[in-house]
Amino acid sequence: MTARGDAGRRTVDAPGRNAFVYRPTASPQEAANWTPRQVAMTNFRTVLGRAYPRVSGLFREKSWVFFEILLPFLATSAFVFVYRALEAPPQYIGFVVLGGAMTAFWLNVIWMMAQQLWWEKSQGNLELYFAAPMHIMAVLFGMAFGGFVMSSTRAAAVLVVATAVYGVSFSVDQWALLIGVFLLTLAALYGLGMMLASLFLMWGREAWHLTQLLVEPVYFVSGLNFPIARLGVLGSVAISILPLAVGLDAMRQLAFAGSAYPAGTPAPAIEAGILVAMVVVFIVLSRWTLAILERRARSEGRLSVRWQ
Amino acid sequence: MTAVDPALRPDAPGLASPAWGGFDPARTRGRGWIDIRHSFVTAVRLGWKMEANWTDPLLFFIYSVAKPLASALILVVMLDVISGGAKPEYRAFVVVGSALWSFVLSGMSGLAWMILDDRERYRMLKYLYVSPSDFLAVMFGRGVARIGVGAMGASITLAVGVVFLRVPFEIGRIDWPLLLAVMTLGLTSILAIGLLLAAICMQTRQESWSYPEAAAGALFLISGVVFPLSVLPLPVQSLGLLTPLTWWVEGIRHALFPGGVTAIGGPGSLYTRLSGAPSPTSGEIVVVLLATGAVATLAAVAVFRSSDRRAKDRGLLDQTTGS
Repeated sequence: MTARGDAGRRTVDAPGRNAFVYRPTASPQEAANWTPRQVAMTNFRTVLGRAYPRVSGLFREKSWVFFEILLPFLATSAFVFVYRALEAPPQYIGFVVLGGAMTAFWLNVIWMMAQQLWWEKSQGNLELYFAAPMHIMAVLFGMAFGGFVMSSTRAAAVLVVATAVYGVSFSVDQWALLIGVFLLTLAALYGLGMMLASLFLMWGREAWHLTQLLVEPVYFVSGLNFPIARLGVLGSVAISILPLAVGLDAMRQLAFAGSAYPAGTPAPAIEAGILVAMVVVFIVLSRWTLAILERRARSEGRLSVRWQ
Repeated sequence: MTAVDPALRPDAPGLASPAWGGFDPARTRGRGWIDIRHSFVTAVRLGWKMEANWTDPLLFFIYSVAKPLASALILVVMLDVISGGAKPEYRAFVVVGSALWSFVLSGMSGLAWMILDDRERYRMLKYLYVSPSDFLAVMFGRGVARIGVGAMGASITLAVGVVFLRVPFEIGRIDWPLLLAVMTLGLTSILAIGLLLAAICMQTRQESWSYPEAAAGALFLISGVVFPLSVLPLPVQSLGLLTPLTWWVEGIRHALFPGGVTAIGGPGSLYTRLSGAPSPTSGEIVVVLLATGAVATLAAVAVFRSSDRRAKDRGLLDQTTGS
């Protein structure tokens, strides 16, 4: 039998190896020098391990069906009725519905990515993360992957329900670009979430309040319920720094292809390029800020401060 | 042996037996309203510090104002996108509605999150319970502190609406008695709904942090906050008319912008169908707000008392759920 599979199986033909000993070594110092494969596999398992509770939580804590679908649906409905009261053209109802679905991702990014490490600190888990033999970026990737699965189900539910209830009709000419923009938007959003998570390492109660601050103001500058071109310069700035703004604008242009759409924003292909740049920048920045702020948080003793 | 603080000695003034040597039951009863007022004021101060001292005053001000202001701006831009600025009366309608809603959000979440904060995060709820303070006074004190934050956001949003968004406003036309009456009754109703949510949060776990927002989201839809009720189906309109918040928002609009757009009446509205009138009068608003607010308050107190008993019975006051 070859030495493939888990550590327990390797003990059959590799004496000295078991679940706790990866390879027999002559000294503790040598054991501490992990092989690249050992590091990669540990980080991979970390990603899966951190994503697991978010995915399995979908099936265990059923109350999310009520709160995570009904709540965005109600908020979306309020804005739909505002447009109905104003006798707006039908595509505006579609803009609101699409924006309402995308809020699931934004809320997930700020509450369950950006703020997550602060929650972990409050619950006493953060020091365990840092003491464990894994890279903290793997934890962030795991959180992002689990959050992506979690939010996708919620966003899809809101989109389907609201589309059916309010009779939204989409008109898509470029499916591939639409799907590409959607995936790039999510990658950029979760990259931003990873960056914010490392920033929030330093904060105590500020984290909670600043997360609250990132809801309505971001909805406004992202043009969640209206075409962002109407915001002029502010909209242009938002498109250059906020994945929600640029992604939503591109998706609206692609999902309502035949409808009149206010001019003033780049074409979807250009916005897809902006999203690619955002993905790279946010992930690199998150790696960099995490390294700096982790060191600073350690030196200032903030990693284990609870109930601050 | 360490020295004992003279104030803590058993024979210190206030702790020693009465001069006649017996047990003074008055000490166990406390001082009634004086103690309640003291607990309330202390809770307001504590709540305010918890809300405000996490940062410097400037950032706190921005934080308090940004949320309601952004909500109002979203609606103003939506309005302008469709009407091109041709409906200034609707601009006043949405600015007032979204500004007032910050009271509702802060009032409803204040009481519910007080329970959750003290139980789950700070783990102090059981100590509050066993302290001599009246628990309801402490809760309302903390809730009032959060309403103070909401009031600041609402005031600035209104001011920005008038100064920068050209909301038509004349201070001389304000109906002050109506404003005072509906504001008092409305805030009481908001605290009552907050108390109801606090009672629910005492029993629940995990997703409880979302409950105030969920309840506020549902009420936002049926209370005529940013659009007239007449665009809703009739059964939903009837639910809206049973909610004190609908009448509170309508009353504030009547008081601040007499003759403006009504959320309750108008063509196609249930109110106009039933009453034949285009919009409710100020007197009707106060009476209905009083009635619906009284029902909400009595129901909230009854539910809270019941939840309180059950929480003690099931040991929920010190049960943290990791949420």
